[in-house]
Amino acid sequence: MASLFKDPSKLSVYRDRRFQGTQDEFEHALLSSTTVYVGNMSFYTTEEQVYELFSRAGEIKKIIMGLDKNSKTPCGFCFVLYYSREDTEDAVKFISGTILDDRPIRVDFDWGFQDGRQWGRGRSGGQVRDEYRTDYDPGRGGYGKLVQKELEAQRQLVDYGTDSLGSMPPVMSQHGNHGGSHGHGYRHGRDYHHRKRHRDDDRHAHESSKRNSDFESRRNSNHESRPEKNPRFRESGDSDEEDDDDRKQRH
Amino acid sequence: MSSWKSLLLRIGDKSPEYGTSSDFKDHIETCFGAIRRELDHYGDEVLPFLLQCVEQLPHKTPLYGTLIGLINLENEDFVKKIVDQTHKSFQDALNTGNCHRIRILLRFLTTLMSSKVLLSTSLVVVFETLLSSAATTVDEEKGNPAWQARADFYISCILSCFPWGGAELVEQVPEELERVMVGVEAYLSIRRHTVDTGLSFFEDAGEVEKTLNEKDFLEDLWGRIQALSSDGWKVDSVPRPHLLFEAQLVAGKSHEFGSISCPEQPDSPSTPSGITYGKQKYDAELSYPQRIRRLNIFPSSKFEDLQPIDRFVVEEYLLDVLLFFNGCRKECASFMVGLPVPFRYEYLMAETIFSQLLMLPQPPFKPIYYTLVIIDLCKALPGAFPAVVAGAVRALFEKIADLDMECRIRLILWFSHHLSNFQFIWPWEEWAYVLELPKWAPQRVFVKEVLDREVRLSYWDKIKQSVENAPGLEELLPPKGGPNFKFSTEDDGEKNEQHALSAELYNMVKGRAAAREVISWLNETVIPKHGFDVSLVVIVQTLLDIGSKSFTHLITVLERYGQVISRICPDQDKQVLLISEVSSYWKNNTQMTAIAIDRMMGYRLISNLAIIRWIFSPENIEQYHTSDRPWEILRNALCKTYNRISDLRKEISSLKKDIVAAEEAVAKTQDELNAAESKLALVDGEPVMGENPVRVKRLKSYAEKAKEQEESIRDSLEAKEALLARALEENETLYLSLYKSFSSILTERLPVASSVQTLQDLKSINPTDTNAMDLEEEPAAMDMDNEDSRPEKSQVNGGTEHAYTVGENEQWCLTTLGYVKAFSRQYASEIWPHIEKLDAEVLLSEDAHPLFRKAVYSSLRRSMDSI
Repeated sequence: MASLFKDPSKLSVYRDRRFQGTQDEFEHALLSSTTVYVGNMSFYTTEEQVYELFSRAGEIKKIIMGLDKNSKTPCGFCFVLYYSREDTEDAVKFISGTILDDRPIRVDFDWGFQDGRQWGRGRSGGQVRDEYRTDYDPGRGGYGKLVQKELEAQRQLVDYGTDSLGSMPPVMSQHGNHGGSHGHGYRHGRDYHHRKRHRDDDRHAHESSKRNSDFESRRNSNHESRPEKNPRFRESGDSDEEDDDDRKQRH
Repeated sequence: MSSWKSLLLRIGDKSPEYGTSSDFKDHIETCFGAIRRELDHYGDEVLPFLLQCVEQLPHKTPLYGTLIGLINLENEDFVKKIVDQTHKSFQDALNTGNCHRIRILLRFLTTLMSSKVLLSTSLVVVFETLLSSAATTVDEEKGNPAWQARADFYISCILSCFPWGGAELVEQVPEELERVMVGVEAYLSIRRHTVDTGLSFFEDAGEVEKTLNEKDFLEDLWGRIQALSSDGWKVDSVPRPHLLFEAQLVAGKSHEFGSISCPEQPDSPSTPSGITYGKQKYDAELSYPQRIRRLNIFPSSKFEDLQPIDRFVVEEYLLDVLLFFNGCRKECASFMVGLPVPFRYEYLMAETIFSQLLMLPQPPFKPIYYTLVIIDLCKALPGAFPAVVAGAVRALFEKIADLDMECRIRLILWFSHHLSNFQFIWPWEEWAYVLELPKWAPQRVFVKEVLDREVRLSYWDKIKQSVENAPGLEELLPPKGGPNFKFSTEDDGEKNEQHALSAELYNMVKGRAAAREVISWLNETVIPKHGFDVSLVVIVQTLLDIGSKSFTHLITVLERYGQVISRICPDQDKQVLLISEVSSYWKNNTQMTAIAIDRMMGYRLISNLAIIRWIFSPENIEQYHTSDRPWEILRNALCKTYNRISDLRKEISSLKKDIVAAEEAVAKTQDELNAAESKLALVDGEPVMGENPVRVKRLKSYAEKAKEQEESIRDSLEAKEALLARALEENETLYLSLYKSFSSILTERLPVASSVQTLQDLKSINPTDTNAMDLEEEPAAMDMDNEDSRPEKSQVNGGTEHAYTVGENEQWCLTTLGYVKAFSRQYASEIWPHIEKLDAEVLLSEDAHPLFRKAVYSSLRRSMDSI
């Protein structure tokens, strides 16, 4: 339906350079695929959130979270695999551009998941777009990786002291210990191994909710602590200008 | 895109193609100017594109009609082609039962008539053909009244042309028009009034009498057309651009429209019985569905300046935009807000969209589409639409106790998703009073379920924050906790050998032990020592814990150790235990419970029958009326079963197509071979039968391959058909089990049939055991005018109090009956084939409560006469 306004070139705007095959084969793959690529996600969004949203377009077969290839933590994209083509089309039509976890996500047909595609392709391990971003995006680890390095270099030149501003805590803070700052309004339990992210606040609240504290503490001790970015900077809107996955920009 | 194309496409819109002008006359002239230049050379391209615009932009039909009228003045041949092509499409649409095309093309023909392209008498002939087919269909002797849905559809198509051309018809062919109107009236007098209580949004007070007296869709439309007729056929909502060119158009040559024929209706069943008639009627209603069921949300004061016909026309516009612009967000929203009507229609737009979102049995699109449309309209009309949506939510919330169960779920899913797109902002304090209501009060359950879905889409703390204005509502949030692992090694509780067993399994899995190693450990060590049931609990809990980190972790564990679970849960009894363990492990998290059960059914570790048995176990029964949790799991199980069957059906139909292709290939290769063999060739100077032997050999191998191919497709078809046959048998068992369980628990809890004949009776039973009624005010304040169950705002001590007066057991029955309806309606097509058996074993058995029977029958759209 709505064939009149459908841009026939829409399918082929993106060209994943990792796809081995001709342009025709690529387009055919997109036209028959039951996989969607989901972009511009928050690093904190869990599989279960994705499941809740995307199952409204149809029965889901699998979800593959995109991971930072160094830290093995979510880096803001995922693949959702459906059973039927119709459901896949509905996910693209009806979910793309809507909000998940306070961010407008992008949903596109994908040519099909293959092992290895779950890793970020950026130099620093995450997605390419997070390499060069200059804005501050709390849902995606703060500034872009290059800017972060820059800031880190500056920080080492000028000694701010740990507590002086509170706006520039050590970039590396240990997850699971309560040192450093407590986010106020931001989440930073960027921890893939937890079912849901939690903020440091959460852990204080556990005193009153006995229900899962045992579980949480067991979990915490079960995996190695992981560095995380502290998203305490002012939010400056999000940008979807850079592109994920070597995709070209949509106009 | 060529400029003539974008001019055609954008005609009537405020768009750069037409500069600053928004005047229809300018648009038509500009477009006509561009088209006439193309016709000589590119007529073959213009024609199909123009017809595509006509079919997909039906709110612009009058503009296209006028444009074609102008073209007709210069190029009669081209326009003749348009008319002929339309004739062909229209006849095709009739033959295939393509409702949208029939309706839209008939409207197009009407505007062609207005632009003097089509003879008005030709149009009348089309109307009369449809009319006579409809009249025959509902005739008991000559026709087949089970197919009334199609007859009704034809009549509604005729009537819906009048807003577009009634004025012209009455001017040009008044007598013929009168004849058509008389014919329609005659038809209305012989057809049956449609009663479909099973599909109404609300279980209103006095439902039966009301639906009997209320006009059905066709009667309602007829009423609006009569009002239109007495109003001199004037319609504000339909533009009449042909009047701007009247002087020119008069000179055009009107074309004839060849005769058309309506397909015969299927024969009446040779042995008329309630069931075969019911099946046919159901099929007919599926093929010719009613397009809209009006949902009255807002007070009539919001529609005061609207003529009755305007409401119909605007609904048509909106539904067509929704139909043709799904997937084109920008266009969809801009067409929705920019209809060619001279009045505001936000309220009507909201009612129309909600009526689609909640439409029973199924909306034309998935509910998530309407979610998107509402989001986009809120953004497109930020000053007007959000308030209208909020008003709709409030109004529906007020009536939630009467709202159909299926509609409630859709509303919950929509609302939570909608809020997640708008920072979860909602004036929850308005609804804080639900805390004072008993835990089964539908409003309270609604709030609880919305919050649960919000948490799923977001996270607990965020949603807690969002209800800050009504902190008490925190009580209705789902538990914050994670899994509930029985053998956690970290807590200080007592450790027993089961803990050790669990730890051992943990280590095996960590060491990547293969499933068969775990199974032999199970067989040799665990089961003999600890017994079957203890082993089951330990194994299941531990594996669930290993897979608890995420959906993917769960899948990985099930893929790797599914066989271990099958070993320990080999039959239905054990599978029911398995499900109980899942539910206990994830007792704090409904989503994960549902996902885990769903995946286990996916890996065939549990059967749908086991799920049904568990759903009807006491732990679930007691939460039927207070939570969607058991129902979600049942919905998933039925949906998965249905999906499996429809996948099989799809595969079979595609294999059948493959067979046809394969047969053709066989015939072709065989022909080639025969031809080659029968040819005379000279070998060593001697004439022998058969061509070049190498070629013959090659052709022979082709022919053999083609045959093999055909056989292999036949084999797979046979295999799939056997699978389908088995699946359908299993389906029968499934629905029998489902309905038996429903029937027995309902009979147990419903008051005796003689004391409650309607749901209304059930609601008005005054709860004597008010143990859970923690309401302070004296009962006298309530039973005054509490005929219905709506929360009453009764003035007590000067303050406004809300109360819900339906007792717990009664609410349990109402909710359960509501779900019986919802499931029966949704899977009616799957249930009908087994209806004889269901009737015999459940529905017509003496134990079945009349209210239960009625719920099932009305949802299957089956006549109640036989009850």
